[in-house]
Amino acid sequence: MTVAATPGEGEVRVFADYTGDFQEEADAVVVGSGPTGAVVAYELAATGKRVVLLEEGPPFTPDDFVLEGARSMTRTLREGGLRTTRGHVVPTMQAIALGGGSLMNSAICPRAPEAALDAWCTNFELSRTTRKDLDPHYDAVGDFLGIAPTPDDVQGPRNLLFRDGCRALGYSSEPIPRNVRGCRGSGECFTGCRSRAKQSMDVSYVPAAIRAGARVLTSVRVERVETTGRRADAVVGRVVEPFTGKAGARFRVRARLVVLAAGCMATPVILLRSGNLANRSEQVGRNLQFHPGVAITGIFPEPTHPQFGATQGYQSLQFLDEGFKLETLWAPPAVLAVRTPGFGLAFKERLAEVPYSATWDAIASCHRSLGRVTPRRRSMDPVLHYQLHPEDVKILQRALYVLAEIFFAAGARKIQPGVHGLPEEMHSLAEADAIRTRAMRATDLVCGGNHAFCTTRMHGDPTKGVVDEDGQCHDLENLYIADTGIFPRCSSVNPMFTGMALAHRQAGLIADRLP
Amino acid sequence: MPVRLLLLAALVATAVWGFRRLLLGYAVLPAATQVLCRREWALVDGVSEAMFPAGGAIPPSGREAGVNEFVDRYVAGVPAGVRLLMRMLFLLVEQATLFFPAPGPGGRRRFSALEVEQRVAVLEGWRTSSLFLRRLVFTSLRAILCMGYLADPQVLRHLGVAPYDIERVVLEPDLLYPPVGQPRSAIRFREADLTPPSDGTPLDLDGPLHPDYREGSP
Repeated sequence: MTVAATPGEGEVRVFADYTGDFQEEADAVVVGSGPTGAVVAYELAATGKRVVLLEEGPPFTPDDFVLEGARSMTRTLREGGLRTTRGHVVPTMQAIALGGGSLMNSAICPRAPEAALDAWCTNFELSRTTRKDLDPHYDAVGDFLGIAPTPDDVQGPRNLLFRDGCRALGYSSEPIPRNVRGCRGSGECFTGCRSRAKQSMDVSYVPAAIRAGARVLTSVRVERVETTGRRADAVVGRVVEPFTGKAGARFRVRARLVVLAAGCMATPVILLRSGNLANRSEQVGRNLQFHPGVAITGIFPEPTHPQFGATQGYQSLQFLDEGFKLETLWAPPAVLAVRTPGFGLAFKERLAEVPYSATWDAIASCHRSLGRVTPRRRSMDPVLHYQLHPEDVKILQRALYVLAEIFFAAGARKIQPGVHGLPEEMHSLAEADAIRTRAMRATDLVCGGNHAFCTTRMHGDPTKGVVDEDGQCHDLENLYIADTGIFPRCSSVNPMFTGMALAHRQAGLIADRLP
Repeated sequence: MPVRLLLLAALVATAVWGFRRLLLGYAVLPAATQVLCRREWALVDGVSEAMFPAGGAIPPSGREAGVNEFVDRYVAGVPAGVRLLMRMLFLLVEQATLFFPAPGPGGRRRFSALEVEQRVAVLEGWRTSSLFLRRLVFTSLRAILCMGYLADPQVLRHLGVAPYDIERVVLEPDLLYPPVGQPRSAIRFREADLTPPSDGTPLDLDGPLHPDYREGSP
């Protein structure tokens, strides 16, 4: 193994920099530069620790962003953006880019509700993860990223119509808090923010980590954690070419402490590929949960100029107790049109109504619907199994009906519910009653697997969870996990902010434990 | 012996007939095609014609919107495992009508060889099937073609959802990262190029479109 020149402190390396096999040393190696990994890397570097941050994807600049939805997904998402679960077939996504999912998500940053965190503590033998415990960490991350409610002047009609509909029905609604500074309402969160307004990790925490001395290695895929006894010694893997994924030179990073933040679908694969590591509880890869999402498109009498406005600008938390959250939504038309019914001239007619449309979605807390992550043969991609529980289908059904109510209260002239067996278009709330009354199966819904959790869950009991309340693996002294896999249960709302708050707390503890 | 010979001849004839029926008789591919084979190109073209016929509420047809060319580029760009699944999808739809014929005379032909009305009927059958997997086939196929149709600048302009032009801001991260796949020496910005960050001025709805989406753009 040859050893390439070590880059200077506070540097970023890209694919073209790797000329052969190499080794690095650090106090802490962080695997994954998504929201949680980036927070840990920065916070540790800021305390003077030697940090190496590893990321499989490349950094993207605005010049690399592609506005065409399909091509953008192919470049920035794993498996070309076409990853699906087995069992109930649900599409789901994982980014492959510096900054991870924060580059391609719509920056939604609500705090987890008190009740959800209390349920974590009660059901999973945790004692320091209440909302009160996490609030200081939410505050720190929120200040760093400028998290604030979306201002009205960049909402655009399709977001404000949602607010109006909620108001008419007496439902609560609020501008979505986002990690954004200077949003111009381009609606391009999913293909990359050309205004550089979204504070994705590649423009916020990662540069800060570099300034603080962290070394950031992109286009490197970690495949295994090496251990001796109860200690992790190093991570090993391969350099991978952007977009093609072709594996090249080998690398090894030795560190006094390893933090896995590769994401809920990748971290279990690394552990299982490392000789079933940290798995005395046999919970690694199990308990996979999503926030399954459903959506309705409504057509209004007046133009909604849907291409203008924050990608997701308004939400309603009114129904969290019933198990769902409502949001507005915009995506490249090519992606949204997947839900448009029909084909031929009728399909074109419906597409022509896009300028008058708004799409709103619901994400559901489906605790009963569980899945599993296992490694795919000869690949670091996961195999995902997932089953949507009939009781959770009822939650989604109820959410669809509430969305229909809001659409008609906001003045929509028709809606497209996108449910098999129901009329493709409904013109009144009376007609939409069928959404509420029909017996639905999971396969009747056009459903997406948003967010992902719990595959390395935290639990106070080492026989029931992979990590403890600090994210430290029960089985190893210096191996931590810092992604949404450690959530013991889904968080009821979009998880990025909660993941970062937990990572912020973890980083403080790790810094204290690393002399 | 003659019986055996007859059986063998029948077997060979069936194999030749089957081979021709399944795999031969497709038009030559356009020169610039990247990965689609003749059969796949014909299938995509056949679906595109049924799904995005000329005229109607949005003038360009699937062909005029370059759906075939898009699908070719798209399939070339996805990871190998996904590409294989897409090709299996195309094969399934193209050959299924040999076993489950389309309505009307001559319905037991490959999908791409059917009359357009028959193709519409076949797709409608997939779309409204009570079997989830059949609907999934339709949804997957339509999603791929739809992404092509709605990637076309003239279609997006017609719908009024073409992307706006946005001035390039240059911030600190732009001094750190080169374009994807290039060395750090390709970073084209220096400190002197830094601009103020976005001030949050909403985009002008009447503002210019992104250069790639303007009238007359390539």
